[in-house]
Amino acid sequence: MRDDLAKVVDAGQGLGAEYTEVRMQKLFNTTLTVKDSRVESVKEGNENGAAVRVLVNGAWGFASLGTLERQSLTNAVAEACKMAKAASLHVKTPVKLADSKTVEAKVTVKPKKDPKEVSVEKKIDLLLTEDKNVFDYDTRVKSCTINYMDIAATDYFMNSDRTYIEQDKLYLYLLSYTTAKEADKLTFSHDLLGYTSGFEAFDTETPEVIGRRVAKRAVDQLKAEKPKGGTFPAVIGPKVIGIFAHEAFGHLAEADLTLSGSVLTDKLGKRVASEKVTIYDDGTLEGAFGSFRYDDEGVPVQKTTLIKNGEIVSLMHNRETAHKFGTKPTGNARAEDFRYEPIIRMRNTYLTRGDYSFKELFEDIKFGYYIKDYRGGQANLDGTFQVGVQEAYEIVNGELGTPVRNLSFSGNTLETLHKVDAIGKNFELSVGICGKGQRAPVGAGGPDVRVQEVLIGGGA
Amino acid sequence: MVELKSEELVHFGKKAVDTVMRKGADEAEAFLSGILNTSVNIERGQITKNMRKIGQGLGIRAVYKKAVGFSYTNILDDNSVIKTAAQAFQSAKASKADKDWPGFPTPKKYGATKGTYDKRLATISSNELVNIASNMLKEATSHDKRVFAAFGTAETQLAYRVVVNSCGLEAFDKGTSIGCSLGTVARQANEVTPICMEFNAERVYKIDSSWVGKEAAKQAVSALKAKKIDSGDFTVIFGQMALLELLYYTFINSVKADQVQREQSALKGKIGQKVASDLITIYDDGLMANGLQTWKFDDEGIPRRKTPILEKGVLQHYLYDCYTAKKDKIESTGNALRGGQNPYKSTPIIQATNFTINPGNKSPDSLIEEVDNGVLVYGFQGAHSSNPSTGEFSVVATPAWKIERGKIAYPIKAAMLVGTIFDVLNNVSALGNNIRKIEQIVTPWVCAENIRVVGK
Repeated sequence: MRDDLAKVVDAGQGLGAEYTEVRMQKLFNTTLTVKDSRVESVKEGNENGAAVRVLVNGAWGFASLGTLERQSLTNAVAEACKMAKAASLHVKTPVKLADSKTVEAKVTVKPKKDPKEVSVEKKIDLLLTEDKNVFDYDTRVKSCTINYMDIAATDYFMNSDRTYIEQDKLYLYLLSYTTAKEADKLTFSHDLLGYTSGFEAFDTETPEVIGRRVAKRAVDQLKAEKPKGGTFPAVIGPKVIGIFAHEAFGHLAEADLTLSGSVLTDKLGKRVASEKVTIYDDGTLEGAFGSFRYDDEGVPVQKTTLIKNGEIVSLMHNRETAHKFGTKPTGNARAEDFRYEPIIRMRNTYLTRGDYSFKELFEDIKFGYYIKDYRGGQANLDGTFQVGVQEAYEIVNGELGTPVRNLSFSGNTLETLHKVDAIGKNFELSVGICGKGQRAPVGAGGPDVRVQEVLIGGGA
Repeated sequence: MVELKSEELVHFGKKAVDTVMRKGADEAEAFLSGILNTSVNIERGQITKNMRKIGQGLGIRAVYKKAVGFSYTNILDDNSVIKTAAQAFQSAKASKADKDWPGFPTPKKYGATKGTYDKRLATISSNELVNIASNMLKEATSHDKRVFAAFGTAETQLAYRVVVNSCGLEAFDKGTSIGCSLGTVARQANEVTPICMEFNAERVYKIDSSWVGKEAAKQAVSALKAKKIDSGDFTVIFGQMALLELLYYTFINSVKADQVQREQSALKGKIGQKVASDLITIYDDGLMANGLQTWKFDDEGIPRRKTPILEKGVLQHYLYDCYTAKKDKIESTGNALRGGQNPYKSTPIIQATNFTINPGNKSPDSLIEEVDNGVLVYGFQGAHSSNPSTGEFSVVATPAWKIERGKIAYPIKAAMLVGTIFDVLNNVSALGNNIRKIEQIVTPWVCAENIRVVGK
């Protein structure tokens, strides 16, 4: 493998590339779907592929293909060089890369229960047990879809700096989606679990626990009221503050998007949030869904401080943007698989904890909302964000009140960060699959956070 | 993979089906897909990348005692095909029987498609694609110096699909497409506009990248100096991108037969009933000439066709694949889809093809002229968090403009639109004549009354 990679890298450099990198990958994958107690699909996949990326005259050429054969890869590197030259004709500011130290490494994964060794029958049983617990919870539960996936990958990386890395990756995830119905009210709830450890994860997070949790949330929503539309104070729970840290703030701090004109352009070193706010993007958390050892440019992963006490300290970089900012790459370059080029992605993004108790966070709020779990979120470069919510409650005179349904909230990221006035001492990290043209497993989280005001979209 | 040899692909498909059957399966199906994607990328105001991605592979469904197994690979040689077939059979044995399993379809005659393959696109050079991107970029940046081209692409695609099954079905089709898109922002003093997107996509070599560049730039400039508005109920004109977002996550879900059969659709039991304004006629046309989603057959080998969904507001039909059609004792509408860039990796799901809202006769300008106090919305943020069962949404309108006394008055800062898709469709008061294709949607501008806007 190593010799093949070296030959292909040499071919790229021989054709005049300033930088050449080759990634090979072997992928194994099991996907199961159970819908309403029926096994809808049992899938197993086996794929090989490679990607070559070259920098010629300050422009990128990239080719990916579904083979590991050396001759095909050598042809692909020539094709990539040709494409880079075509693109370079219009380059005004040539792409340059920040230095990264040469690495030689082998990363292996040894889970207690390797998903490859667990039979398909056993995996199906897990899903059917969860399904049974969902429907047994309450007769008002109407539907249940459960998707399971495990992915085992081995990556082989070499670049023209002679960095060579072999790295195993393992991902396990379980997505549950259920609906409940009563009269004309139809509610739904979803739950995503993700691990970089083995199948033993389901020994503690059992299908019984998951099933009852998902069903309960959908059923509880049946008694929920419509929210009022307008501006209100809110306490944002760990799951939702996680998606806020990721969607509303994190994407703006990805250096490629910052350079594309996000509201953080020219904000480095400046105050952008209340001094209570500290946010990290951390790829080193053991076992977290967004953790790994080396990124797809061969840069070691790190814990990056994005905001320290309200001030922007760093952005997230690949080698290209690090050079533009005159700084070091942060290990955020990730590719979904061999088909894709590495781009700047988050890892585990979270707000650090404070010292308020749950009670203290609530006690000054006459009327507001406690926003506990989300459906999805989205942000724009101008800092406008929207978070759709699947579980929320009214706060009335400092106490948790009636549940509300189909609420979503929005605002401007930096205005909202300035309005954070109290942070809880709890902490929770949850998982997500982030989409930015490619999918990436990530973690996100934080404590309960009180915000003076957000815009609440009222019920229909 | 520049030109694809259909015989070779059908060979692998047949080999897979034979292997599964010889293992003792009751039925087998092979699906092969290949996509060659070439793109030129604009990042941060300049062309920086030129990429080529090739993805092809084989997915096999094996059926044993009404239990279905699936396995896929991208390694296309005889050994790997045999191994993958064996794996599919193993998966079927590990799975559970499904009493509703309908069986694979028998061979059918396919309708003709028009304007879905252009051999110029199969052989387009990198230089030509770079020029398309470069023209788009030039047009945008020369329009106004406050405009910044954040990202964009010009890309072509050459794709094929093969279905072979143990009932004797053998189908092959190929297609091309080309598209370009540009996302811009405008900056002035401390203000940054939201991303303003424009695009053009076609199946044959006939796109106008200069127009895309200019429109994206115009939009960004007109989004500067945005103001908050007071909450209220307004007349809203929805642009095509906004309609795609909203319909994709709400209405389209509610006409999928699986959603209906699982009681996850507000339209269950409403065939023949009025569910939208008289003005609304919608059909799903899998054979539409030059349609972005047009193929001769769907991803189970069923002929594509035109299916009426709403006729003057009255619900006509749902969208079916083989599984759900058998349950309702009717024919599949040819809406089985294996999605994404690597369709061979998936089993089919129900999806709309070219989901078309019949246009009206009003120009965009005259639609605006008739609005006294309203909002024009080009895009939404957060539509994916809508409730797919009830059609309830609560989304941010961006970019959006205030309309006052028949004229665009000013851009709106971060207002939310709240409601259900069925209320929107019931309150439609006018339709534009400006029909456009975006992904699964073909639609003009749509104007609806009494839409709740939460401003400040």
